Amino acid sequence: MTSSSWIGAGIAAVAIAAVAVPVAAQQRTGAFARDFRLNDAQGQVVTLSQYRGRPVVLEWTNADCPFVRKHYESGNMQRTQAEAIRGGAVWLTINSGAPGKQGHVDGAGARAVMTRWNSAPTAYLLDPRGIVGRGYDARTTPHLYVIDGTGRLVYQGGIDDRPTANQADIQGARNHVLAALEEVRAGRPVSVPEARPYGCTVKYADS
Amino acid sequence: MHLLAWILRLLGVMALVPAMPLAAQNTPNIRAELVAESMSPRAGAPVSLAFVMTPASGWHGYWKNPGDAGIETSVRWTLPPGVTAGPLGYQVPERLLLAGLMQYVYEGAYAHPLDLQVPAGLAPGTRLPIRADLDWLECTREVCVPAKASLSIDLTVGDGQVDASDRARFDAIRARLPRPLGAEARFAAAGDRFRIAVPLPASLSVSDAYFYPLTDGVIDYAAAQQVTRDGDRLVVETASRAGAAGVQTLDGVLALDGGRGFSLSARPGAVPSGGEPLSQVDAAGAMSAGLFLTAFGGALLGGLLLNIMPCVFPILSLKALSLARSGESAAAARRDALAYTAGVVGVCLLLGGVLMALRAGGAAAGWAFQLQDPRVMAVLLLVVLAVALNLAGLFELPALASGGRLAGQGGAGGAFWTGVLAAFVATPCTGPFMGVALGTAVLLPLPAAMAVFAGLGLGLALPFLLIGFVPALRHRLPRPGPWMGRLRRILSVPMFLTALAIAWILGRQAGADGMTIGLGAALLLALGLWWSGRRQVAGRGIWPVAMPAALAALVLALLVQPAPRDAASAATGIAGAEPFSEARLAALRAEGRPVFAYFTADWCITCKVNERTAIDRAEVAQAFRQGNVAVLVGDWTDGDPALGRFLSAHGRSGVPLYLWYPVGSEAPEVLPQVLTPTRVAGLVNG
Repeated sequence: MTSSSWIGAGIAAVAIAAVAVPVAAQQRTGAFARDFRLNDAQGQVVTLSQYRGRPVVLEWTNADCPFVRKHYESGNMQRTQAEAIRGGAVWLTINSGAPGKQGHVDGAGARAVMTRWNSAPTAYLLDPRGIVGRGYDARTTPHLYVIDGTGRLVYQGGIDDRPTANQADIQGARNHVLAALEEVRAGRPVSVPEARPYGCTVKYADS
Repeated sequence: MHLLAWILRLLGVMALVPAMPLAAQNTPNIRAELVAESMSPRAGAPVSLAFVMTPASGWHGYWKNPGDAGIETSVRWTLPPGVTAGPLGYQVPERLLLAGLMQYVYEGAYAHPLDLQVPAGLAPGTRLPIRADLDWLECTREVCVPAKASLSIDLTVGDGQVDASDRARFDAIRARLPRPLGAEARFAAAGDRFRIAVPLPASLSVSDAYFYPLTDGVIDYAAAQQVTRDGDRLVVETASRAGAAGVQTLDGVLALDGGRGFSLSARPGAVPSGGEPLSQVDAAGAMSAGLFLTAFGGALLGGLLLNIMPCVFPILSLKALSLARSGESAAAARRDALAYTAGVVGVCLLLGGVLMALRAGGAAAGWAFQLQDPRVMAVLLLVVLAVALNLAGLFELPALASGGRLAGQGGAGGAFWTGVLAAFVATPCTGPFMGVALGTAVLLPLPAAMAVFAGLGLGLALPFLLIGFVPALRHRLPRPGPWMGRLRRILSVPMFLTALAIAWILGRQAGADGMTIGLGAALLLALGLWWSGRRQVAGRGIWPVAMPAALAALVLALLVQPAPRDAASAATGIAGAEPFSEARLAALRAEGRPVFAYFTADWCITCKVNERTAIDRAEVAQAFRQGNVAVLVGDWTDGDPALGRFLSAHGRSGVPLYLWYPVGSEAPEVLPQVLTPTRVAGLVNG
């Protein structure tokens, strides 16, 4: 190989690495959301881009985290999911917990959690290596993202504006996700495009 | 299918069971307790309360800004009518970086202090039942549990009496709160980088710094922070987040090494680039050539200076003479000089290596630090006195004689051992003079520190290298003779003066009591050595008497206690200023003198600027002299709790504070935070 072909191969290798491993960087609200490909709880391959044209909600989860339990045991998360899907949106629940860490599940475990909580997202996606989680800079469970039909990220942050683990605080809180979906549907700009995510840390693999 | 769902539900419930005890009220993971500084607060005055939090091993609680995850602690009060509670205080937190996510936490015991305002007009004896529902998040590195506790304390309106133990407890809690920096910081965002410039006096020594942001979404918590210093400015650079665009105020706490924390608020502004990296320890591998040369050159000069220091000179000049005496040929003289140098440098490197090993072992073994311990000074006094008495001829040291045997072997070996001996004998008395230089060496990265020690040795040996390599110098040296004995006796005088100087330092550190104990130990040692000398003359051994005497003197010297800090700390700044205390203030005012009291700290840039430009001035000193003004200085560098209470009694949470007490006036005049010399000097006439 000549030196120029070495350089070419190097550039190609770097480019491939950049595509395959999204670096941990905040996704900019208003920019196109990064595409990804993950297996769901049934073993089916799901990509973000297959839902282009419909709003998509991403929800990071960990069934053992008390903040996640606040919203599931009260039924708030399921209600939010059902209302979003009824309005034409796609709901992707994502688990980025690494094997051996709290809240990690395989396909069967994910199905058991959905059964236990009677939750019905469009898909429950498994991200045990944390690649998509880090790519979206998901920091907490729950951490929510809303992507509009054109593929732009229009909201990222907590599910609501009451950062507690207390179920009593759900009543009267502003549900940022439903508000954002409503504004997207009405063709208005999202009034609260970012809010502080709150909850447990995402239990990523130790890097 | 029904059965399967039922089994799964059952499994789910079972999975929850182990978690149940964790969620119980007032879990043992972090024990919460509500305490009051005074059980009988005065009506119309604030009383300090605190939630004292004690995590079990492996558990942590969260700072006000928990970082990438977690939540702050919140409280719901049930208070008697008119009673109001201030916001929860947060102590300076720690960092916990797990799998790339940053959390600001407390891994050890912590507390949330706050002020409770008791309304005026309540009759003494009125009961004040205080109820609080505290919610917090407690986590291990794996799991998180929301916890809550219903806490209560019953106060009774009274005289505001505070027990000494409660005062000490609350002072310790408040000491860990960040203190207001008293100067405004600036920040600038460029691309994905974010830089914060904090005004901080260049004279303040800082070895570690971290900025804990309170404003969320502006900087990336998990990103590393690079800290540089440039004059009176400390700059923190890190990665920004999307929220950095358009932010107008960034609040946070700058934490420095030693648990010091300063709350500050930053506004957009220019942040100059440049400055020295804070910690060269991180970059030990890539230490700059400049730092190395500075350290080495400084140490070389220091070592050279040591040759003429009163306690070193006598020993070394005698050794030099013995070296010169042995020199026959020029080649032999050069060889001896090199061997001597090797001996001196070898011992210095050895001592340096021991010190570095102690440092690596986690002990804060700074030489300078040890010199602040009066017991070290007392032992040093004994060593120097023994050397002086030896020089004066009171006794002869058999160890030196046997060392002399090694040293007297002739040839390179003898010269080497002479060098070893010279460095060993010289080292104890280099302490007082080289303490600062060696203390610096302890703070430097390893290669630079070792260069300091090598430079010290080389400097010490330099005169003898010259004698060895420049024959003209050697020929000018006088012939040995009985005059050497006389010179030795004469050289004991600077040695005794050194002992005197050490005794003076001991007196400054440990007061009259400590100095007397030290001098008593010295007397005991001198008597023992005197007796030993008499035995030597009679041809008997020295150790049976000298050893017990030396041991007894040593034990006595170790009894020296440091004096209370107030007695030792001399006020800096304007001439004639005294350390501030409320008692001293009252006494001066009772004498009918006007008093100018000011409160400062080494980390407070506004204070330092005011002192330089407006207080420590000739015209001010003259005006104060004419007006017979007493000046009191309160130094809040270490966060003295009594000063802290005085400051808050005058409505300030920090320094600077300038108070003017004219004669006959009840309340002081509070001067503005920015002063001019005319304003200060004008107080006397105004």
